[in-house]
Amino acid sequence: MSDTRAFLYKVYKNWFFRRSVRTLAIIYVAITLTFFIIRLMPGNPIEVFIANMMAATGMSYEDAKQLALAMFSINLDEPLWKQYLDYLYNLVQGNFGRSIAISPGTPVMQIIMEFLPWTLFSVSISLLVSFVLGVVFGIIAAYRRGGWFDRIMSAFAATVSAIPNYLIGILIIVFLGVQWKLWPIEYMRGAYSASVKPGFTLEFITDVFKHLLAPFITYVFSTFGGWMLSMKANTISTLGEDYVTVAKAKGLPESRITIYYVGKNAILPLFTSLAISLGFIFGGSVLIESIFVYRGVGSLLWASITSRDYTVMQGVFLIITISVVLANLFADMLYGLIDPRVKTLGGGE
Amino acid sequence: MPDKSRVVLSLLLAALVAMSFTAPLANTQAAERKPLFVGAWPYQLPPRGHFNTFVTGALTWYIYHIMIQEPMALYFWANNSYYPWLATKWELTPDQQYFIVHLRKGVKWHNGDDFTAKDVACTFWALYLLNGPVWSMGFIDNVEIVDQYTVKFHIKHASPILYRYILREPIRPYSTYHKYCDLAKQLHDKGVPRTADEFKKAVAEFRNFRPKEYIGTGVLMWTGEITEAEVWLKKNPNHWKNALKFNWVKLINGETPQVTPHVLAKEVDYATHGFPPATEKQFIAEGIRIIRAPIYSGPCLYFNEKIWPLNDVRFRQAIAYAINRTENGYVSLLQSGKPLKYMSGMPDELAEIWLTKETLSKLNPYKYNPQKAAQLLEEIGLKKGSDGYWHYKNGSIVQFELSFPAEYADWSAAGENLAEQLNKFGIKIIPRAITFTQHPHEVWKGNFQLAIRHWGSGSNPHPYFHYRAVFIYWNKGSEGPGIAFPLVQETKCCGKVNITDLLLKSAEGFDEEKQKPYVNKLALIYNELLPGIQLWHRYGNNPALDGVRVTGWPPDSDPIYKNSIYGDNFVVYMLMTGYALRPTPQNMPAGQQPSQPSQPSKPSQPSTPSQPSKPTTPSKPSQPAGPNYALWGTVAVIIIIIIAAAWYLAKRGKKSE
Repeated sequence: MSDTRAFLYKVYKNWFFRRSVRTLAIIYVAITLTFFIIRLMPGNPIEVFIANMMAATGMSYEDAKQLALAMFSINLDEPLWKQYLDYLYNLVQGNFGRSIAISPGTPVMQIIMEFLPWTLFSVSISLLVSFVLGVVFGIIAAYRRGGWFDRIMSAFAATVSAIPNYLIGILIIVFLGVQWKLWPIEYMRGAYSASVKPGFTLEFITDVFKHLLAPFITYVFSTFGGWMLSMKANTISTLGEDYVTVAKAKGLPESRITIYYVGKNAILPLFTSLAISLGFIFGGSVLIESIFVYRGVGSLLWASITSRDYTVMQGVFLIITISVVLANLFADMLYGLIDPRVKTLGGGE
Repeated sequence: MPDKSRVVLSLLLAALVAMSFTAPLANTQAAERKPLFVGAWPYQLPPRGHFNTFVTGALTWYIYHIMIQEPMALYFWANNSYYPWLATKWELTPDQQYFIVHLRKGVKWHNGDDFTAKDVACTFWALYLLNGPVWSMGFIDNVEIVDQYTVKFHIKHASPILYRYILREPIRPYSTYHKYCDLAKQLHDKGVPRTADEFKKAVAEFRNFRPKEYIGTGVLMWTGEITEAEVWLKKNPNHWKNALKFNWVKLINGETPQVTPHVLAKEVDYATHGFPPATEKQFIAEGIRIIRAPIYSGPCLYFNEKIWPLNDVRFRQAIAYAINRTENGYVSLLQSGKPLKYMSGMPDELAEIWLTKETLSKLNPYKYNPQKAAQLLEEIGLKKGSDGYWHYKNGSIVQFELSFPAEYADWSAAGENLAEQLNKFGIKIIPRAITFTQHPHEVWKGNFQLAIRHWGSGSNPHPYFHYRAVFIYWNKGSEGPGIAFPLVQETKCCGKVNITDLLLKSAEGFDEEKQKPYVNKLALIYNELLPGIQLWHRYGNNPALDGVRVTGWPPDSDPIYKNSIYGDNFVVYMLMTGYALRPTPQNMPAGQQPSQPSQPSKPSQPSTPSQPSKPTTPSKPSQPAGPNYALWGTVAVIIIIIIAAAWYLAKRGKKSE
């Protein structure tokens, strides 16, 4: 018995176990808040549908309402607690429900899966490139402090970080597409050309990358400055550490000092931000996707909000919540592995 | 390999990859598709967008729908006439019990099947299931197939509106919808009420029905080539009329912000979006023609008649005098926001057709007259204070909230300007933009003081629909009191009136002459009581690109432009009938000459032959396919900079070592 208690106590005190339980609790709270906040929004899918039907077909309010009630498999007149319990019950079984407005009857997961791969593709590539560029440029700027590279790039990074991403997107369209005609507008719209048959062909792959370019540039431009400036600050701070001076005094090669002594330590704080950003990949970027009419979860989320499609909104928010929370968990674990002090301070094993 | 060389080599490699990435610039497959017409309309991708064209969310592209699934007739607003299309003729039986339609023979569906009466009947039975207006408004109560090419509709309630609901309905194939139209007919014949579970289940099933194929008899065929950015439709080579002069039609997806760059880049030949004044000016500067055709609708200022003094006719009249509607229209939509001459509740174009000269002369135009407005306000006991605001007897300021849909750029501008004007006049107005999906519900529920919603009807030419918009649509309903405008009232013009009765009589029977007295009465009542103030008539500001891919745009005086932009779009009609519009020489496949512009095959009914088009502003021809020197130059400069930077960095690195 005492062995069992000791085991349970060990499990309870286990750092990973505690973090996992906390993660589940956060997800539950987020799900619950999302459920209720969505329903606090003015209007509901049935009202939106009735308005659309009246405007489009000239139906009377009563007829449109009858139609809506027949069509939607959701009864918004049910008590909220019952709707909530039904939602949780279905969720536990992996059932996200069916769309009630934007594609009535279609399973929410099917809709999300149509859009998610494109978001993962576009945002993850952009994020990784932006991160790598930011880190490399940050180290170079720190090493060449006060030089022309540092001055130009730091000013550039601070400027682009201050410009909202949608503005960068619009500027790219206006200047590169419309004014200077450097990049055809048709490649600034959508994920691929309608006239190119999707498939594992060079033509299609090239087309996909051409369509990716404008959102990619926008995303990289709007985020790399932050990475660069953080990395520069961290590197400068690390360069002043005693172990770096010692390493230099020992005559270690500069490249080794840069990578193993400075870079590795300076990049550590950026991991948390990267992990959170990786989590947000699943949410896409609503503004960038809508400016470039790019297929993705962000545009899906926007469409579901405007049509008050509760189930799709819940599904997208759930995916974002889970991915962000898991990414944080992953970051914590990774951080714990990289820097054991974190586990100790957190009251670990 | 030395570090420097490695850096330079890898950068060069990267530059080469970038160069291969940029060439060729144009999508070669798309470039070969000629002659091409490019339009724009917002749509949703599958699975959100689907092929059940009876229900919302379908991929119909609204005005372009009839190019895929055609109606039995086309309607021309200029002379109030129908032009036979899938029907060859139609008639009323002498007892006016039946409306009989004779169908065109030899028409084929895109899959090769024959078009027959079965398809027409199926379309209307499917509408029965959904309680479409032709059924719900009680115009018909049965559809019968007489023979393979004749259909007869049993008339329950005679009205000229019936013509439009039957003749302009896009016809869908029986082969796709047979399950549901057969079911609808069975339910009808068995007398199953709409409230029965059996009926509701059928409706729910039908609304969730997602056909796998998308066919019509129309000039355009579905290709399956669709992305969130664009959709390609191709010409139906076996069309019975074969008048379409373009082999391909591409539609750009998106609302105004998404479509604007395409228009500016001259990649769109025609768009119907509502462009803001600044954008319109830019179009004009780029040499893009703006077509201003009527929409037969516009923004209207409504009053919550449960609130005093909004329910006092003198107050509403005062507001009408206090607003400079010319200014309001201009700041909202430049020349496309045209003030109305008559304030009849209808657009001026219809007023001049339906109203007698005597009625027109009696209509108060409510010209901008702040003095008159002040006089009316004083009559109802309001006083202007030294602070410049009007005050109630108890001393409090006359103040209202004005709501409007936030996302409608032109209406928002109208709302802001209206608030500014009335504040200047002394009535304190707090403008409030509400999201467009929510705003109508706020009005229906009566949760407003002043609100901007639409007047008129862009999809139906009969005055009934224009008066219905004001007196019924925004008035008392199940959701709430709406504008709470009483429909039985004492008037100066016509004594005690029952507006509901007048409205019904205005659309009763097939003889429009008999309806005119009621329409005239409604106009006078509207003009006197002002349930809403028609701020301006929204004309389109449609960019039409001449000389790049398309030419032959008729001059502004052409009667075809009287067609409602959203109801019976003139460009769609021109494309379908082969009238006027034709490809430019550079928009023809290699080795082919464009068709001669001499005699456009225009439908005989609508208007007199017009002059061949004269482009108002000469536009630059499209860029010939070839190397983009600007791009290549930029790439070269970038490569040089990269090499120089790499060389410099490598040199600095060596020095520091």
